[in-house]
Amino acid sequence: MTELVMEAKHVFKSYGKQKIKKGETCDETKLVVDAVRDVSLQIRKSDIKLIFGPSGSGKSTFLRCLAMLEIPDQGQIFLGDQELTKPEVDLNKARAKIGFVFQHIYLFRHLTALGNVELALRQVLKLPKDEARQRALDALKQVRVSDCVNKYPSQMSGGQAQRVGIARAVARNPDIILLDEPTSALDPELTGEVIDTLRELAKGGTTMLIVSHEMPFAREVAEEMIFYDEGKILETGAPSQFFNAPNTDRAKRFMDRIINRTAKE
Amino acid sequence: MFEWLLDPMSQSKILEGVLLTVEITLFGVLLGLIIGTLMAIGDIYGKKPIKAAIAVYVEFFRGSPLFVQIFLAVYTIPTLLNLKIDHAFLAFLVFGLNSAGYQKGYMKGAIETILGDQMQAGLSVGMSRLQTLRRVILPQAYRIVIPSWTNEFCSLTKSTAVLSYVGLMDLVGAGRSIIYGTLEVLPVWIVISLIYLLWITSFSK
Repeated sequence: MTELVMEAKHVFKSYGKQKIKKGETCDETKLVVDAVRDVSLQIRKSDIKLIFGPSGSGKSTFLRCLAMLEIPDQGQIFLGDQELTKPEVDLNKARAKIGFVFQHIYLFRHLTALGNVELALRQVLKLPKDEARQRALDALKQVRVSDCVNKYPSQMSGGQAQRVGIARAVARNPDIILLDEPTSALDPELTGEVIDTLRELAKGGTTMLIVSHEMPFAREVAEEMIFYDEGKILETGAPSQFFNAPNTDRAKRFMDRIINRTAKE
Repeated sequence: MFEWLLDPMSQSKILEGVLLTVEITLFGVLLGLIIGTLMAIGDIYGKKPIKAAIAVYVEFFRGSPLFVQIFLAVYTIPTLLNLKIDHAFLAFLVFGLNSAGYQKGYMKGAIETILGDQMQAGLSVGMSRLQTLRRVILPQAYRIVIPSWTNEFCSLTKSTAVLSYVGLMDLVGAGRSIIYGTLEVLPVWIVISLIYLLWITSFSK
């Protein structure tokens, strides 16, 4: 077995509990959203896993828990053999080893593409100026946005911006990259650009956990697909299993819908 | 009518007044920005006692006349501390503290519009909250705040008029002093107003 890069053990996360004040008439149980309910997952070096499932089922929350952008209510997150959910852990150092790509891109709006990638190299890895610049330029070249180096996010297309977002995540050589629906805010053409970039990263052996509904891409690169619904992993298996005969009814219905939609397009 | 303008005595008074007004405005806005920024951050991230202290501060400086604040600072603080403190220094300080009361509001508003996604992005690349504030949030917040800064400049510049009540020679003080000597009331105030207008338009354009 190859080396374990990231592991989640029995993670729970819910929202809304704190917002209810004493004496309010709302039924408390209705307001609490259990986004993650006892989810466990292992990711090994060079794994490419894909999480899919209905909107609002908690996939993003789970991904953010893995990156400790949200602190789980219960359970443990490991990065290598370090447990991130211990209170004494320096989360900034841990996050430096995790790349994260957001659905809505979230580039630093006051910085150029180069500045976006360079910032963490300078501030977090403390690289000297020239080295940081070179590495940032290399990362931008790798995702094929060398023509945007001096552009600001407002001057880029969505696909360019998202690829800069990916460059920002990979430039630090993180142990793993978590991608939260990286293409769902883009039109089909721009989606293609971003998918091409991800495909190249996959070939290079990058460890990735991707939330996505791009099924052709999933079939091509993912070793494992994870069907996530109502805060839980309902089914896990190779893409062929999902494309041919999912074990659970819920996954089958969901796959049917996606495949029909893709066929229509 | 305007012959006093040629008098070197009047000229030096006006020059002195312009300098004090300009200095105190620049210093006030700058000190206000620094303290205002710190209070904005404290108000967003601080615990309850910190937030309460900031609220009291802001209400005091926004809710009482600047003149009273200057008066208190110049005539009571040195007595209480039993020290001789330069009036100009105390006045500078009050202008900064007063401006901070307003600038805290501008900064907080600006930071809050940026905070959500940009803080997430900063943390996601491994920066600390402080690093993200400094490198990502504040540079963007200042860009939003600059238009309201011009207002702060205008209002502080004109507020310097109260300094003449505590014996400091700002532009209005200079005007009064010239009037005592020349009895040319209207022409002096016209010239003084024109100088204000010139200075204020120079940075609002």
